[in-house]
Order: sequence, then structure tokens, then C-alpha cells
Amino acid sequence: MFAFIAFSLRSAWQGFWRNGLQSLAATATMVLMLVLLSGLILVLAGLDATINYVGREVQVVAYLKDSAPQSDLDRIRLALQDMPQVTGVDFISKDQALATFQLTQPSGAGLIDSLPGNPLPASFEINLRDPSDYLAVADYLRAQITSVEKVQDLKATVGQMITVVDVLRTGAVVILIVVCLTVLFIIMNTIRLAVMARAEEIEIMRLVGASDAFIRWPFVFEGALVGLFGALITIGLLWLVQAPLTGFMADFFSVLPVEAGILVGRDVALIVLATGVGLGVLGSFLSVRSYLIR
Amino acid sequence: MVTPAAPGSTSGTLRVPNPPVRRPTGKSADGRVVFALQGVTKTYANGKIALRDVDLVVPERDFVFLVGPSGAGKSTLIKLLIRDELATKGRVLLDGRDLARLRRRDVPRIRRKIGTVFQDFKLLSHKSVRDNVAFALEVTGTPGRQIRPAVDRVLRVVGLRDQADQFPSQLSGGEQQRTAIARALVHDPRLFIADEPTGNLDPLISWEIIQLLLRINEMGVTVLMATHNAEVVTALRKRVVALEDGRIARDEIGAAYHRED
Repeated sequence: MFAFIAFSLRSAWQGFWRNGLQSLAATATMVLMLVLLSGLILVLAGLDATINYVGREVQVVAYLKDSAPQSDLDRIRLALQDMPQVTGVDFISKDQALATFQLTQPSGAGLIDSLPGNPLPASFEINLRDPSDYLAVADYLRAQITSVEKVQDLKATVGQMITVVDVLRTGAVVILIVVCLTVLFIIMNTIRLAVMARAEEIEIMRLVGASDAFIRWPFVFEGALVGLFGALITIGLLWLVQAPLTGFMADFFSVLPVEAGILVGRDVALIVLATGVGLGVLGSFLSVRSYLIR
Repeated sequence: MVTPAAPGSTSGTLRVPNPPVRRPTGKSADGRVVFALQGVTKTYANGKIALRDVDLVVPERDFVFLVGPSGAGKSTLIKLLIRDELATKGRVLLDGRDLARLRRRDVPRIRRKIGTVFQDFKLLSHKSVRDNVAFALEVTGTPGRQIRPAVDRVLRVVGLRDQADQFPSQLSGGEQQRTAIARALVHDPRLFIADEPTGNLDPLISWEIIQLLLRINEMGVTVLMATHNAEVVTALRKRVVALEDGRIARDEIGAAYHRED
């Protein structure tokens, strides 16, 4: 067992350096793809942060009738608080609404004063766990015709935003898959060339009675080596650009509470490492198969 | 001395061999068989029939020359023995085991019972003589400390101890073939297959290689040698199996390269 591992690692190492240029090309391809991958991960993380932030800000506002009986309002409030989609319910009385209006729009204050009484309705402001739950809550409120005058129609805006983010996220995943497949084929091709360059060696190995494992694993380790080097270089590059990138992200998403530093942190490094080594191993595994015992 | 034509021979003429030519009995002194082909037919995917209904039994310690024109099926027979190909019909038995029924993971193990050398030596140019021989042990998982003594032993047998650290490009053709023979011996094979081992060598060096194969045979290893070298075959008067168009045309002990009618 020890002899096997030592042999495989040694052959892989020698194989990697013997076809230096080819290994370099494969490693460079791996780096480019891993950089692209981490870029996409960052974009996806940014999108997620955005949608979470917006989600926190999305409220359903139900304007209440002046004639609404207090008992009915209490019932609605309790029902809303019991809904799993709802994180919080605020009751804004007519007086509070007026105070807020006067505070935020001083120019309109005179207009209000000229009217008899308080024209602003009381309202419920409901905070949602997930903006896509908007419809369920809004539908419930619209059904309360005794008390609810109108439900603020956020459907169009929220719906569109969710669609856009979903499309972007799907697009990123598709690009990710395409990039991974491309790299898989490039690695397979590189290893296939390496295998062909050593066809004579493999023929001798089969002739003298080497088992499949001894033929396969040196190449698998060689593929893993390409993945490992690619991943380490990529992580190095990411580390170099981390500071400027965090600054840029902070500027770009200044409205959002995004902690960019975490994004370029351990998780991305692990994903890059796993993807690089995984693709290298898979590519070699597939391309060496045809040379084994039939 | 005149012997009558073997039974079954269609020619009515008498053969005049040098020593007496006998039909092989298929048995060694203790009756052990190294390999046997029973009604073997091999048809390749392109429809070419390489072997037709071949029966051949080779007992332990035999020395067999496999002769015949190119394309007669010699290489196919060897490929069947090392289980590089499987018989289309019939059975190939090696050391008592049916190669067609071998499990995949047992194939490498049975190949270690066979030492094989070829016309083109098949040495690795980036490895020294010693490392070329050691390679056969390394890739079969032999522990490192056992490799060196085993390699030294076979290098002594083939007489290459002084060239152990040279590379194939620094060796003569004969020395390269002896390296290949050392590599084929390092697993202590029961059967030694030489496919045109002297095809690339001049006559003098060819005789050296043949002497080495005879020595290996004396050490108890069964030898099967495919060759076009008529001089060697005729001079040694060993068992000769002649293939023609995929059939065994002749199988005689103490025979010459050509039919001696």
C-alpha cells in the first residue's frame, strides 16, 4: 500500500514536470476558470445580500378604514403576527401618520392644516421574512373588507425585482456550469495528451502485470496536482486583490450592509480548492479509463 | 535415419530429418502443462480470422519455436496468451486457468507469470538499465527494499551488472534486449514469451540472445519464441510449431525451420 502511494505520487510529480509546458497550460486554464468561478460566487453573494436587504425593507402597508372597529383591528393584528411569513406588525394610528407626514414633508403641512380634521388613515405596517411572500399577506389583508381600505400595491415592483434577481442567479449558475464543463474537457484533453505521451510506459506496465490502480492513480494525482496548483495560484490572486476589491464593493454597495471581506474569505478559498482538485481528478479519471484492461 | 511420415500427413513422401522428429505428447516428465489452446479461433472486429481451430499443449520446461510467415497468426497467439485479446471460440488455459473466465483484477496477476520480450525491446529511454528492470517490480507493488536485490539477481543472469547505470541509448542492441529479458525475468515467470527477439540484431548477437534463452529454459522456465530466424531454429532442433493461415501446419519435436519433406 505504501509502495503504491509512493509510486503514484512520484510518477505524478515526474509526469507533471516532464510535460512542463502542457502542465503549465492546463494550470493556467485552471487559474482562469477558478478566477471566473470566484468572481461569479462574489456576484451571487452580492445578489443574495441585495435581495436580503431589500427583503428586510419590503413592507406591506394596509390602510385602514376610519370606521374599523377596534375588535376587528385586534383580530387582524393577532392573525398577522401568527403568520409564519411575517416578522413584525406595527400599528400606525391616524395621529402618528399625521405627525410623520408633518415631519417628513413640512411643505405640505399648511395643506393639512387647511383641511377639517385628519385626512390620513391609520395603517398596519407589516415586515416580511421574504419579499416573495408578499402576495399571501396582501391577499389576506384584502379579504378583511370591514376594516382594510386599501393594500399598498407593491406587487409589481417587488415581483419584478425578484424576477430580475432570479434571472441573474440562474444565469450565473448556467455560466458556472458551462465554465466548469469547459475546464473539465480541457483538463481531460491535457491528461489524455499526457497519457498518450506515456502510452509506451502504460503498455509496459500492462505487460509486466501492473494492476489498473497503478496505471490510473499516477495520472489522477497528476490531474489533482494541476488542480491544486491552479487553486493555490487563484487563492493567491484573490488575496492580492482582496483589499481593493473590498473597497470597491463597499463603494458600490454603499447603500447595502454588505461585508465584502467575508466573501473573499475562507469559504471561497475552500470552494476554489475543492473545485480545482475535483475537476483535475475527474478529468484524469475519465481520460485514463480507455487505457485500462479491457 | 528414415522415419515414416507422421500419421495424418497427406503427403506420401518420407521425411529425412537430422535427429529423429517426434510428435509432441503434450506432457512434461511430471505431466504439468503451462499453457494449452483448445479449439481456439480468433476473429477480429474487422472480420479477419487470425486463428482457426488451433489446438496446442505446451508442457512445463518445453522450448517451443513458433514459426510461420507474417500474418500467419503468431502475434495473435501471443496476444491470447498474455490476455491482450480473448479467443472468439475455444479455450486458452494458462497455468490451468481459463483466461476468458479470469476476473478483471486477476489479469495483472496472471501476467506476472509470463515474461515477455519483443523485437523492439520496449525499454523506457529516460530510465537506466537498473530502473527499467526495477520498474516491473515497482508497478506491481513490490516493497522498495526487495527491489534492489531482485534486480541485481536478474542483471547477473543476463550479464549486465556493469551496465546497470547506463541508459538504453548508451547500449548496443544486444544489451538492450538483455535488459528487456532481465525485466521479463524479474517476476520469476513460468512462461517466457519472446516475440522475434532477434529481429533487430545481427547474427552473432542473435546467438548470444538465443544462448540466454536456452539458459533460462534450463533454469526451468518454459520458453515460447516466435521467430523468422531459420538458421537458429534448424540448428537447435527444438519443438517447432508452424502456423500457416491461422492453422497449425506442423508441430514436431526436434524439427527444422522448414518442413523437411
